[in-house]
Amino acid sequence: MSELSSVPVNINYVEFDEALCNGCVLCMKVCPTKAIRVKDGKAHLQGVCIDCAECLRVCPRGAIKAITHEDFNLEDTRNYVVSASTVIYSQFGENVLPNDILLGLKRMGFRYVHDQSYTSEMFSFALKVHIKQTRKIADSPFPLISPVCPVVVRLIAYRFPSLLKHVLPLTTPREIVAREAKKRLSAKYGAQAEQIKVLHITPCPSKMISIKEPVNQTHSYLDTTIGINKIYEVLNKNIQEIDEDLVLHHSSGAGLAWGMSGGEIAGSEVNGLAISGLRETILYLEKIEMGLLQDIDYLELRTCPEGCLGGPFTVADKYLAKHHLQKFIQIFGDKTRVKYGYIIKLYKEGWFDADWGPAPSVTRPSHRAINERIERINRVDKILRTLPRRECGICGSPDCRTFAEDVVDGNAPIENCFLMRDNLGK
Amino acid sequence: MPARDNPQLSKRFKIEPRDFLRAGEVSLQVQRTLKNIGFEEELVRRAAICAYEAEMNVVLHGGDGILTLTVHSEEIVLDVTDDGPGIEDIDLALKEGYSTATPEQREMGFGAGMGLPNIKENADSFEVKSGKGSGTHLMIGLKARKNGGELNV
Repeated sequence: MSELSSVPVNINYVEFDEALCNGCVLCMKVCPTKAIRVKDGKAHLQGVCIDCAECLRVCPRGAIKAITHEDFNLEDTRNYVVSASTVIYSQFGENVLPNDILLGLKRMGFRYVHDQSYTSEMFSFALKVHIKQTRKIADSPFPLISPVCPVVVRLIAYRFPSLLKHVLPLTTPREIVAREAKKRLSAKYGAQAEQIKVLHITPCPSKMISIKEPVNQTHSYLDTTIGINKIYEVLNKNIQEIDEDLVLHHSSGAGLAWGMSGGEIAGSEVNGLAISGLRETILYLEKIEMGLLQDIDYLELRTCPEGCLGGPFTVADKYLAKHHLQKFIQIFGDKTRVKYGYIIKLYKEGWFDADWGPAPSVTRPSHRAINERIERINRVDKILRTLPRRECGICGSPDCRTFAEDVVDGNAPIENCFLMRDNLGK
Repeated sequence: MPARDNPQLSKRFKIEPRDFLRAGEVSLQVQRTLKNIGFEEELVRRAAICAYEAEMNVVLHGGDGILTLTVHSEEIVLDVTDDGPGIEDIDLALKEGYSTATPEQREMGFGAGMGLPNIKENADSFEVKSGKGSGTHLMIGLKARKNGGELNV
């Protein structure tokens, strides 16, 4: 499948610590692109990684680390505008309100602190407007798919390129925040604004990758990211020492809910489904590829369980975090605070439009290549029929089918299968 | 049906009647196999829809069913047989909106009477052989264009 798409894969997202890896098969088994193999008792990458972080989550020995490519220094806050994922509001318990967190960030010395939850509310409303407009156009692809999770977009580009046209053509809230911040900065500081960068505080490593190698955008307005877990301690300290009284938080519960699965569609009142977790995400992409679910407007897909609250860089337990958000929704209400007329005006002006680059091109295999692939599948099936189908992974490939493919492709000898070896010996 | 050459690839899948938990699994396998071969997305989608509707027919009405996917030099063929109750009036069954699904099945979202018409719409050739009490045999053909080239999605 990898040959079909031309998604950039120039940088590594994960690294394996050989000293800690004991060669168990857990990461290899969980990888959705079957990109991990265990060779000589150590896991390594052999294929395309989409940065989903499932392997980090599952490794019992902490032998896998995300390569984040982050270059932000905590001493350097004055040169940064900060916008945090709405997930951050769920991380400090129910007694620390969103405004406290924004004041804490301000106290850390950032040039400007932006509340992303309000932009998220605006996005949810624009989504509703967009779907209403698009439903009027015959043969529009439905359901549309949320562009928010970079892993989902990467997964689509890599494994489901025919579904790229389903990705909602609006700019994500985090990018809108960065774009608008840069506009304001250049109005205020002119050429000097170049030196001020936009930092995104993120619950997952994939946001940094979407800055470095955006799949469906010409470029990212964000400059760098830092994990919530890395900023947590110092932010917490600053929250305890808040000494001013300003209102920086403007959203209702509709914007605050964004971090959890279902939060994006809850505020938009669209006919949508919220799906979280990698396995389910892939299953639903397969269903859309079959042409099912066309009467559904929108799929909010998140590869982390429970949505972004389940991101690998979060600090609070995802269910506790969800509980905190639900408390906030009670406090702030779930009715959106954005002004409808204003959003419709912005939508018509193209304020929300995604600036997509050229779509990744897909090379169709030639007649001969197709015949070769059929031949390969036949050879794989033939080997597969002789395998014990215990799906143990001891051979170093994630499952029996992939092992058969590795054998056919010359990447593994058939003797790597322990159970086969016993059979052959008898 | 036009004469076909020997299949380059042949896969058989068992369909269990009334197994709603695994319903759709066989058509997913068909979809994955054809996609893996590298056929054009639209062709894969049409084949998957045909497989899905045929599979759901067996799950809803049929006895034990077998779906056989064969790939020929210029055609993809789905051959679906079951030993269920059969179709009394095939012309009627091919009409949109005609359904013999039970109220319970309709509550589950099935039985809109679009199954066979949907296959007819998506297939390039479609033949039904059935009679009361003698099972059902669907023969679905899709022309497989294997011409290569660049495609923008």
